[in-house]
Amino acid sequence: MRLIKFPGLSAVGILVFFFLSVCQPSICARQVVREETGAAQTEHEPEQIVPGPRDIKEKTAIYVFVGWVWLSVFVLIFFLKLKIRETDRLYQLKFFNSKRK
Amino acid sequence: MGISTWFEERAGFSGVTKFMTQKKVPLHKHSVWYYTGSAILLFFTIQVITGFLLVFYYKPTLEKANESVAHIMTEVPLGWIIRSVHSWAASFMIALVFIHMLSIWITKSYRRPRELTWMSGVGLLLISLFFGFTGYLLPWDALSFSATKVGTDIPHAVPVVGIWVTKLLRGGEDVTGDTLTRFFGIHVCILPIFLFILLAVHVYLVQKQGMSLPLELEKKNQEVKEIPFWPNFIYREMIVWLLLVAILFTVAIFFPPSLDQPADLMAPAPEGIKPEWYFLFLFQMLKIFPSKILFLSGETVAVLLIILAGVLFFFLPLIDNKPEGNRGKVITAAAFIFIAFAVIMTIWSLL
Amino acid sequence: MKFKHSLFTRRQFLNGLLGGWLGALLASLVYPIVKFVFPPYHEPEEIILPFSDYKDMPGNSVKNFPWGSKLGLLKKNDDGTYTAFVGVCTHLDCNVIYLPEQRKFFCACHDGWYDETGVNIGGPPPKPLRKLSVSIEGENLAVRRPGLEKE
Repeated sequence: MRLIKFPGLSAVGILVFFFLSVCQPSICARQVVREETGAAQTEHEPEQIVPGPRDIKEKTAIYVFVGWVWLSVFVLIFFLKLKIRETDRLYQLKFFNSKRK
Repeated sequence: MGISTWFEERAGFSGVTKFMTQKKVPLHKHSVWYYTGSAILLFFTIQVITGFLLVFYYKPTLEKANESVAHIMTEVPLGWIIRSVHSWAASFMIALVFIHMLSIWITKSYRRPRELTWMSGVGLLLISLFFGFTGYLLPWDALSFSATKVGTDIPHAVPVVGIWVTKLLRGGEDVTGDTLTRFFGIHVCILPIFLFILLAVHVYLVQKQGMSLPLELEKKNQEVKEIPFWPNFIYREMIVWLLLVAILFTVAIFFPPSLDQPADLMAPAPEGIKPEWYFLFLFQMLKIFPSKILFLSGETVAVLLIILAGVLFFFLPLIDNKPEGNRGKVITAAAFIFIAFAVIMTIWSLL
Repeated sequence: MKFKHSLFTRRQFLNGLLGGWLGALLASLVYPIVKFVFPPYHEPEEIILPFSDYKDMPGNSVKNFPWGSKLGLLKKNDDGTYTAFVGVCTHLDCNVIYLPEQRKFFCACHDGWYDETGVNIGGPPPKPLRKLSVSIEGENLAVRRPGLEKE
């Protein structure tokens, strides 16, 4: 896991950089400006369609879902680390080699 | 047990499973880059699945394209999430392709006997970029229409043959509904076929030749710690996949892409027109070249330079045939220069 | 290694936990996809038509109208009243046609027959044509799902 840390963080850093260059102020501001001018119009002819959850029920469902995904990810990583420890130890014991003998 | 023996008698997959358990992955300072390959595959799989779903509702004609995307985003249940995941996963995948390529360049993993793996990889990089380019037009909104006009005009800068590439891409002289239909066919049918073929070659070569070691470890010729690919390395890869998928969903749900009004063939180019982030450094290069250099247009010189760089890039393993020597060091430095160049040009294009 | 008193080994337990939770995560991803793939179909609750289009229909004749994405049939009866049907055969969903001379609805797909009140009288259709409620409200002809009539 140590092997992943530093270069992994720099890779995440690269991803964050591109992510910031994508959602930069000019686009986000543009969305906001368009939203304001489009706010008065009906759903069928907006200046720009900005998607997302439509009511509080959907918003809550979204937050619950994202929370569930992250919870699952952390739980699964915990289990996977145990499996990694198990298989690494088995490999070191040459558990699989002796089976073939 | 009964089912696997039934299949084993008929299809005989045990060769594959045996290979997967026997394949070893070396663990060292630079092993982290080994994760990039399967991460790209993960995002590509996500693209295929979300692409299948989007194609149920998307209508690839001039009249209906924008409207069908709006329908997906507003009326189809959770359509905005599927579209958002497709859009973000494309960016993630291309970012990872660049990271993967750079890691191979810097560790010189393309050296003998892996030259073909590199070349097939360059093909895959170009296909991925072309996926992004064709996909960008499909919503047929004002921004993507203008960006495609610019993008398909660039080959025109190449003397003699350029105009034919432009016409081939556009399905005519101008960007019209025919361009849209053509791009759609390229995006969902032609590119996937070519990608699968090249990917099969690339993955086969990687399995046949095994995982490469960085130059200094190979020279030392000492025992490097190794772990089996299955299941030890796969479990580690799964951790990376889970984190990437969680990040993808979070970003896709909280930053979904919007949709502009439909493209108007007669309207002037909208303000702030620019291509997707992975083309920004090239876009900026074209912007800074003067309009005339000697007897050629600045654009022509720039495009020819880019093509020359691309050719050198493709033949990099053959050029860098003495990796330990001085030329090898220059080529490694060139990778970092390229990173700096691309980052600076990208930031400059956003100012 | 499994103790005699254990239900399963520690390895099996860990594998079960890992596989089970992973399965739950994947299943939770399938649900949004299924919702996406099967969009809800909303049948209209009422359709308002201009009465002028249907006023001058002769008795024992039928005119089409759109009932959502399905065919709607408006029949003017001999006594001047109107009946509305969903013009979709109850056998396998083909659109039916009214034959005034025979006073029957006919489905060409498998020779299905309904009488002028929509009751299935011949061929494979298992049920009568679905009736909709019709009311004339001033200048409009309102067709509604039965049970949703306005007071």
